[in-house]
This record gives sequence, structure tokens and C-alpha cells, in this order.
Amino acid sequence: MNTVKTFAPLAWRNLWRNPRRTVITLIVVSVGLWSVLFFNSFLTAWGEASKDATLSLLTGQGQIHAVGYLNDPNIEVLMPPPNAALTKALNAPQIKAWASRLQVPGVVVSEYKTLAVNILGVDPASERRVSAIPDKIVEGRYLNGADDDGVILGVSLVDRLKTGLGRRVILMSQNVDGSLSEQSFDVVGIYDSTKETEDFYVFTGLTTGQKFINVKDKIAQIVFTIPLDQDLEPTVADLAQAAPDLDVRSWKTLSLFLATTDSFMQSFIYIWLAVVFSLMAIGIVNTQLMAVFERTHEFGLLRALGMKPRQVLILVALESTFLIGFGVLLGMVLAALTIWSLYDGLDLSAFAEGLEMFQGGQVLFPQYDIGGFILFSLLIWLMGILVALWPARRAAKLSPVEAMRHAT
Amino acid sequence: MTSFGTIALPTRRNFFSLAGGLTAAGLLIAITAQPALAQDARSILKGAFDNWRANSSHAVVEMKVKRSNGTRSMTMESWTQGDSKALVRFTQPARDAGNATLQLGNSTYVFNPKLNQVIKLPASAMTQSWMGSDFSYNDLSRSQKVIDDYTHKLLSTKSAGGKKIYVIEAIPKRGKPIAWGKQILSVRSDGVLYSVEYFDQLGKRVRIMTADSIISLGGRPYPVVLTMKTDAKPGQYTRVTTKSASFDVTIPAYMFTKSNLQNPR
Repeated sequence: MNTVKTFAPLAWRNLWRNPRRTVITLIVVSVGLWSVLFFNSFLTAWGEASKDATLSLLTGQGQIHAVGYLNDPNIEVLMPPPNAALTKALNAPQIKAWASRLQVPGVVVSEYKTLAVNILGVDPASERRVSAIPDKIVEGRYLNGADDDGVILGVSLVDRLKTGLGRRVILMSQNVDGSLSEQSFDVVGIYDSTKETEDFYVFTGLTTGQKFINVKDKIAQIVFTIPLDQDLEPTVADLAQAAPDLDVRSWKTLSLFLATTDSFMQSFIYIWLAVVFSLMAIGIVNTQLMAVFERTHEFGLLRALGMKPRQVLILVALESTFLIGFGVLLGMVLAALTIWSLYDGLDLSAFAEGLEMFQGGQVLFPQYDIGGFILFSLLIWLMGILVALWPARRAAKLSPVEAMRHAT
Repeated sequence: MTSFGTIALPTRRNFFSLAGGLTAAGLLIAITAQPALAQDARSILKGAFDNWRANSSHAVVEMKVKRSNGTRSMTMESWTQGDSKALVRFTQPARDAGNATLQLGNSTYVFNPKLNQVIKLPASAMTQSWMGSDFSYNDLSRSQKVIDDYTHKLLSTKSAGGKKIYVIEAIPKRGKPIAWGKQILSVRSDGVLYSVEYFDQLGKRVRIMTADSIISLGGRPYPVVLTMKTDAKPGQYTRVTTKSASFDVTIPAYMFTKSNLQNPR
């Protein structure tokens, strides 16, 4: 302990004997740590935003279907509207909103093209609370009621069909007796979403859809959302209990791809951080190595003056502790400031079109990740100290004569 | 999406066989009609289609599909009975020979010798505008629609080649599942459909079919060369040429069966 007390001022003074070297190391460490910390929080925010954006399109946080519907979504596995028990469970406070939908495969026909689509019958009043699509109308209007006999198409689908607002398209789908229903629908609105959604989903009124394929009051699914800060699994369990003969699922099992993406995103962040971390580590190691090798002559002199090798090591370790420590502190402050300055959200809408394929949210909200801050900072601090010890040990072990012969 | 996945199933050649074959069979017959007696637009059209319904036919037809990268030519033999039965079998070229299509009412079956399998086309595929050809399934199976589901107006009469031509505008009735904005049909006074123009809902023409050569065949005026052009593809067309035809012939009932489709007698 005494040694440390003696050497601490010495180490501190050593740092400022070569201010340029010290400042360069400080910059390398702080910028490196800043990038790791900021990317960590940025990528996490991106993952969250894409997940939310996708779920709020159509999926919701969970859905209820008739058993077998998800394996083969066709007209024969529809379900009746929710009974009293299920309605009660759906109206419970832990569910934010829910909506019934009809969803059947079909085709849409214009003068120029026939394309396969999914026809969704929705009740606009409840649909608005679970889906973002009603707010994404760019031309015309959304559906007015469950009996609205207009159809809403996506921008991309309208382009491919070469149709437009106010024109008529034909929808076709299999109806209950196995024959083909076809009906003319006026395009009353056009929505703008991801290309996949636009190409694949067309919307009409729920009762219009039910009449179209002649299924009376049957529906294909109930979609529900829950408040942000709430656990999904207990809610799903409650609903499953209220509707034992139906298939209740959370988005994690509905949208396996999204769930996989979500967990992959976590791994991806760590892989990405590992890459950034190694690059930065190489930078720090390099600077530290150079700094210590440069001082072989100096260490020889110290040894000649009677310092023991161990004391030389302690001196170097102390210097690194100060230097890297300050760098790490600086990096943390920088990262914290950056995240704080993005508190209102990082608006990516300027790149929205290019990022559409990632289904990303357009505004990201990076959050502080305290665990990450501490973990990465400590790692870098330790690493910075350790890598300086190895060349220092070598230098300290050289005989003073040998060491002093080194030109600096 | 399973039931609609089969839309993509038929190969290019299947589509050709359906398109060319049935269209040749259906349209050529449809176009042949007795002189229209009634002078209002609907009756003129209906006269033509009524005549077609009574007929049976046996024809050899060549279809040429002109595309920017070349021309394909195929020969087929077709049999029709009334308006609901038609069989088309390709004979040339060798790689297409044996492909056959059977239409029975609203059902359409396709036979491919390489698969040795009969495929029933889903009804939704009937509306497809298929790759390769300028015809669509509607051209053959729904011809009757232009009478039942449209309102008609006689726009003008003109004369060409010494014959009177009625120009009729047909607009889909409200609520009928028809995507076209309108059709303009020209019918010659001797009952031959002279041209059909298809328009989108903004009034822009999408495609046009014309009778390029009308001669007397099998004892009646007959459009032996028909050309379908899509306006969006200038320089490309599909042309069907009737090489020989006989009408009101007796065709054995086994002709229009699935077993005959697969194993011709």
C-alpha cells in the first residue's frame, strides 16, 4: 500500500511528461467505449422499435383462432364470435384493446392483373385500437363501419393492379359451399405500410366480408393488445382459460419469425459489440504497447537507480489505471450525453423508404443500459491495464545496461 | 393460400394450350353468327352468341405468339359442343404435342403428358391473364357475360368492304364482378364479330382483338385470322389462324371426358 502511495504521484506525473501520447490514448479509449455503449443502446432501441412497428400493423400482442386455423387458414376453420366468458376476459383491464376479424385467402382482379391476396374483414371502430393501418391512409378514407362495402388497398398493390381510388376491383374467394364468390368492390382508400403488407392485405367491412363468403357471423380471429408495461404470458393464460376450445397465442408463437428475430437481435447486438470491442481493444493494446516499449530506456534508468522490477510494474500498472480509467470515464460521459441528447427520439423518417424492409420504427428511443455501461467499462479498464503489464514486465526484467542501450 | 397456390402450377405450355386452344375453339365459333335481324345493340350481340351455342365444331388451328424475343408457333386440334364443352389438343411442335385442355361447364382441366396428370384449374385461375399469350381465360369461358352483365348501346354504324358494321358499346352493370370499364364491339351485318376493344375504368384501351381475314369456311363467313394485341406491349401479339374447320358435326360423347383427356382414343 505504501508503494502505491509513493508511486501514485510519480505515475501521475509520468502521464503528463508526454501529454501527446496520453491524450491520444485517452481519445482512443473514450471514443472506443463511447461507440460500444452507444451502439448497444441504439441497436436495442432499433430492435424494440421494429418489433413494435410490426406488431402494431396487424399482429397485435396476441391472437385467438379456432383450433387448426393457423395450420391451414381456410374458410372451414372459422370460429363463432366470442361468447360471454371470452368477452368478459377480453374486456378485463389487462387487455388494452381487441378486435374481431375475418381473414380469408383470395384474389383481387383489376383490368390489368389478377393477384393473390389475403382479404380481411374488419370492424373499423375496434380495428383502429389494435392496428396502425387505419391511420396510414394516404388517399381516400378508411372504412366507415363494419358494413362498409368499399375496399382498402395498399399503395404497392394499387400500383401493381394499375387501379386507383374510386375505381372498382373484383375480389374472389372460396365460399362455404366450395364454389367461388366474386364481387365488385369500390376502392375507397389506399394505405401506406411495408411493401409486404401492402401487397398482401386488402380490407373491407367485417359484415360485408361475412356476406361475401356467406359465413354468417363467423370470424377468423380475435386480435388483442396489452399495455406496454405489462407481462404478456399471464394475459394469454387468462384468455386460454376463458376460451378452452380455442387457440390462444402470444405474438411469440404467432409470428415465429419475429420472435426469432427478436431473440436473434439480442445475440446480434452482442456479436456486433464483440466486433466493435475487439477493434477498439486492438487500438488500445497497440497504443499501450507502443507507449511501454518506447520507455524501455527509461525503465532501465529507473532500475539502475535502484528500483525493483516489481516496483516498475506497479508504476506502469498505476499509470494505466489512471489513464484508461479517465478514458473510460470520459467515454461513459460521452455516451450518456449522446443518449440524453436523443431523449426525444432519433427520427429516421428521412430514411424511411430505405429502411422499410427492416420494418423498423421510424423514431428510435435509445435507453440507458446501466448493466452494459458498467460491464463494458470495467472490461476495457481491466484490459487496458493488463496489456500494458506484459511489455512492462519484459522491460523491467532486462538488465539496466541492456535496457539503457535501447535508443528511444 | 393453398388453394390459390395452384395458380402458378400450370406451366407456360399449359397456359398456351388453354389460352390458344380454348380461345381458338370458343371465339372462332362465337364470332361466327347469322345476320342480325334485330337492330338494337343487345339483340345484335345476342344473335351472334345464340348461334354459337347451338353449334358443334371440329377445327385445326394454328396459334402464333409474337414476343420481343421471337415468335412461337403451335398447332392444335379442337372440338366443341354447345357453349360448355370444349377439348383442345396440341399437335405441333413436338415438345408441345399431347398437351390438352378440357372445359366442362365451369371446370377446366389441363393434361400434361410429361407429368401424365390431369390438373383441375381453380376457378380463380380462370381470371388470370397468363404469361406468354395475350388472351385470358375470360375470353373463352365468360363470353356470355358481355350479353348478360353489360348494358349495350349502339354507338354508330359504318361500312367496310361493302358490309355494314355496328359499333356497340357495352358497359358492365353496376355491382357485376367485372373489372373492365367498357368494351366496344364491332359486329358485321352478316353476324361476324369484327373487333372487340377492352377499356379500363378510366377509358384507356387495354387491348384489342381484330378479325384480320374473313372468308367463307364451312359454308359461313368466318374470321380465319384473329389477332389479340395488348396496348401496353407494342409490337407483340397473339394470332390464331384456322387452317380447317367443319361445323355442326356429330362429336361422340366420350370426347369430352377426363379419361379421353388423358388417354385419347
